[in-house]
Amino acid sequence: MKYLVKKIITLIMTLFLVSVLAFLAFQIIPGDVVTSILGTEATPEREEALRKELGLDLPPVVRYFSWAGNVLKGDFGNSYRFSKNMNQMMPVAELIGDKLPVTLLLAAISMVLIAVIAIPLGVFWARSKNRFLDAVLSMGTQTAMAVPSFFLGVLVTYLFGILLKWFSPGGYVSYKEDFWGCISYLLFPAISVAIPKIAMTARFLRNSMLTENGADYVRTAYSKGASERRVAYFHVLRNAMMPVVTFLGMIIAEIVAGSIVVEQVFGLPGIGKLLISSISTRDFPVVEILILYITFVVIFVYFLVDVLYRVIDPRISNK
Amino acid sequence: MIKIENLSVAFDGPEVVKNVSFTIGDGEILGVVGESGSGKSVTALTMMGLVSETARVTSGRIYYDDQLLLEAGTPRNNALYREYQGQKMSMVFQEPMTSLNPTMKVGAQVEEVLILHDKKSQDGNVAQGEEKKGSKEKAGLTEWIRERDAIKERRRQRVLEALRSVGLKDVEKLYDCYPHQLSGGMRQRVMIAIAVILHPGLIVADEPTTALDVTIQNQIIDLLRKINHEQKNSLLFITHDLNLARTLCDRILVMKDGEIVEEGNTEEIFGDPRGDYTKKLINAVPGRTGKKKSAYQKRREARKEEEGAQGKALLEVKDLSVFYRENANSLFGKTVKKCVVHHADFSVYEGEILGLVGESGCGKTSLSKAILGLNRMVEGSVTHFSNAPQMVFQDPYGSLNPAKTVGWLLQEPLRAQGMLDPSKAMTPKDREAAAYEMLRMVGLKEKYFTRRPSQLSGGQRQRISIGQALITRPGLVIADEPVSALDVTIQAQILELIRKLQDDLGTSFLFISHDINVIYQVCDRIMVMKDGKILEIGETEEIFAHPRNAYTKELLK
Repeated sequence: MKYLVKKIITLIMTLFLVSVLAFLAFQIIPGDVVTSILGTEATPEREEALRKELGLDLPPVVRYFSWAGNVLKGDFGNSYRFSKNMNQMMPVAELIGDKLPVTLLLAAISMVLIAVIAIPLGVFWARSKNRFLDAVLSMGTQTAMAVPSFFLGVLVTYLFGILLKWFSPGGYVSYKEDFWGCISYLLFPAISVAIPKIAMTARFLRNSMLTENGADYVRTAYSKGASERRVAYFHVLRNAMMPVVTFLGMIIAEIVAGSIVVEQVFGLPGIGKLLISSISTRDFPVVEILILYITFVVIFVYFLVDVLYRVIDPRISNK
Repeated sequence: MIKIENLSVAFDGPEVVKNVSFTIGDGEILGVVGESGSGKSVTALTMMGLVSETARVTSGRIYYDDQLLLEAGTPRNNALYREYQGQKMSMVFQEPMTSLNPTMKVGAQVEEVLILHDKKSQDGNVAQGEEKKGSKEKAGLTEWIRERDAIKERRRQRVLEALRSVGLKDVEKLYDCYPHQLSGGMRQRVMIAIAVILHPGLIVADEPTTALDVTIQNQIIDLLRKINHEQKNSLLFITHDLNLARTLCDRILVMKDGEIVEEGNTEEIFGDPRGDYTKKLINAVPGRTGKKKSAYQKRREARKEEEGAQGKALLEVKDLSVFYRENANSLFGKTVKKCVVHHADFSVYEGEILGLVGESGCGKTSLSKAILGLNRMVEGSVTHFSNAPQMVFQDPYGSLNPAKTVGWLLQEPLRAQGMLDPSKAMTPKDREAAAYEMLRMVGLKEKYFTRRPSQLSGGQRQRISIGQALITRPGLVIADEPVSALDVTIQAQILELIRKLQDDLGTSFLFISHDINVIYQVCDRIMVMKDGKILEIGETEEIFAHPRNAYTKELLK
């Protein structure tokens, strides 16, 4: 309980710090949202009017606190850039709420793929004594890790979309209209996201298991008459998972924060795509919330990793 | 029971076990004695079928009763071995701290042996249950579950029984503990419980007490003897410690460089050793007799008789308490100060070797760190009357920078001294000369000057460490377990060297060790420490003859 309270306080403090830093960054970087909206040809009067409308004429400190106060009340503000229709501003919450499920679904599918494929592959690889197989896996994973994700996206699109016609590239259906259709479309970007991560995780797990294989308790297990299979799954895997869990945590955080490139390649209306366009148009309210979201995700995932650590290794919880 | 014929084992290079033949009789305790690298562990691991797959058996056969277990030229039959491992032969390893799976409960780890080998009775029951389950009658299913629970409960009781039989208390609670919650001695008892639960005909114990404290060591040896007595199984006891082998074993093999150099009854070997190596080994064991006094020690004693005083104090420790911060790993955690040394009060006098003896965790190292100022969380006072005390560490493998040459390493303290105090700075030429001289003083030839630590043996490295400590001619050297990582014969040489250097240079030593016999051999005075408290200080002979404290008496047993 005490542990949980500590974690929550850390989370709040970090969020505050990050929001200040993001705000400061926006003060420093060149570029002006007003010019970005009106273009360079606008008259100074119009610019002034818009500035006033958006509240940009106030001093930065006042602006930060009024924004922070609103956020605490649950009002994330309106986007500078997007609008619902001619008369209505686009609330940031609605804008992000629309795109978040896409990214989360993509992340969930990728994670399932990674966990389901990488862990058995890693164990299998660690146990295989076949030199040829070892070389093939080694080369294969190395290649998968080296290929840049946009190229992988293109490759997946070409193979599954154009050659095999398992999905129609660019034909994304919203999850609101057809949930399963959306999932089956997302499977392919998820594959592009997952392939390099699978390679890394499998490689990492294999190395971790090979290191653990030299541990004394493994010899003890053999001395009891346990088979190699039993030793691998019963004794070594759990201990070898420790570093892998940390690694998986880093991957989850990365994916949930939005796979910018893959979203772009597959034309997915996700968080990553939104982040890029908002930064380039200086859409401060959107960017700020997105950064807070990413920070939250990263800290939360690390918290989960911490909890998982305690589950796997009894030595930690007793400290 | 066990018959090994002409066994040779090689890894990548030359054979590490050469043509070894021996038998172990029913109920016999056979000791295998030798220094590190003598092939004793490889022989045992090969016999157990546990040696790594890179090892090749180049000749010989191993029989268990009349069953051929292993033959050179044919690959190891792992399936056959699995039948024997745990059930008919089992092994206790050296490292109790790492030999148990850290993520598995103790009970489950003992139980695993039963699960692996008690298949017969279980399978029968499970098959029966399966049948009933197949009939899909509700009563059958509950009965099947009840049956299974009964098997589980029987197994649990057997595990608890085994844990109790190795002298563990509170076994119900222990069953659900993880290894890290247990002390080293308790873990070793759990390992022994794993080894004996199925009453195998042979138990192999590979240095089972080396990592344990002396008092725990004796308990484990007693336990092994008791098990051998009650269960009538054979025991193969591997050790580098001749005293241990002598107290426990019926028969002893002495191994050197992969060969058996002597074999015989314990009394024969110790009473009338034939081989030169055996004699050397027996003589090297630090005993409590035949202590040679160095000229310096004689002078010290003479002076003491004349003046009735200890001489000048080089180090005065007054009412010193040392604390450690119990680490709080987070921003909000409270740091707790933990006292590891309570009110230490002693002095080190000019030209003496003061021994500090105690078990692991008693605060020996914390005390030495506090004296050197490496730990500032202290109360009380430490006063040095000599300049720049130096330190010699336990691990000769880790404490020398592997990237530098011996000559560089020896000069480093001089360079540091020159930087701290420009008046003492030496020219590079003088430094080199000093390093060469020190090399000679620690008994190494000049050719070692350009070698790197990786090209030296453990004993040679420890000589370099000692040379490093002495090259600035400090008044006081703190030696923290300087010989405990070394083999007995090397150990004897290093002790000899320390005495010789004390004689030549008149340096005082604070000599820290857990081994009371080593302490006896080198020290003028002894300080006994337990749980952070100094229990007794006195002249070596005095303490050995008339220990006052109960703990000292136990140590001396």
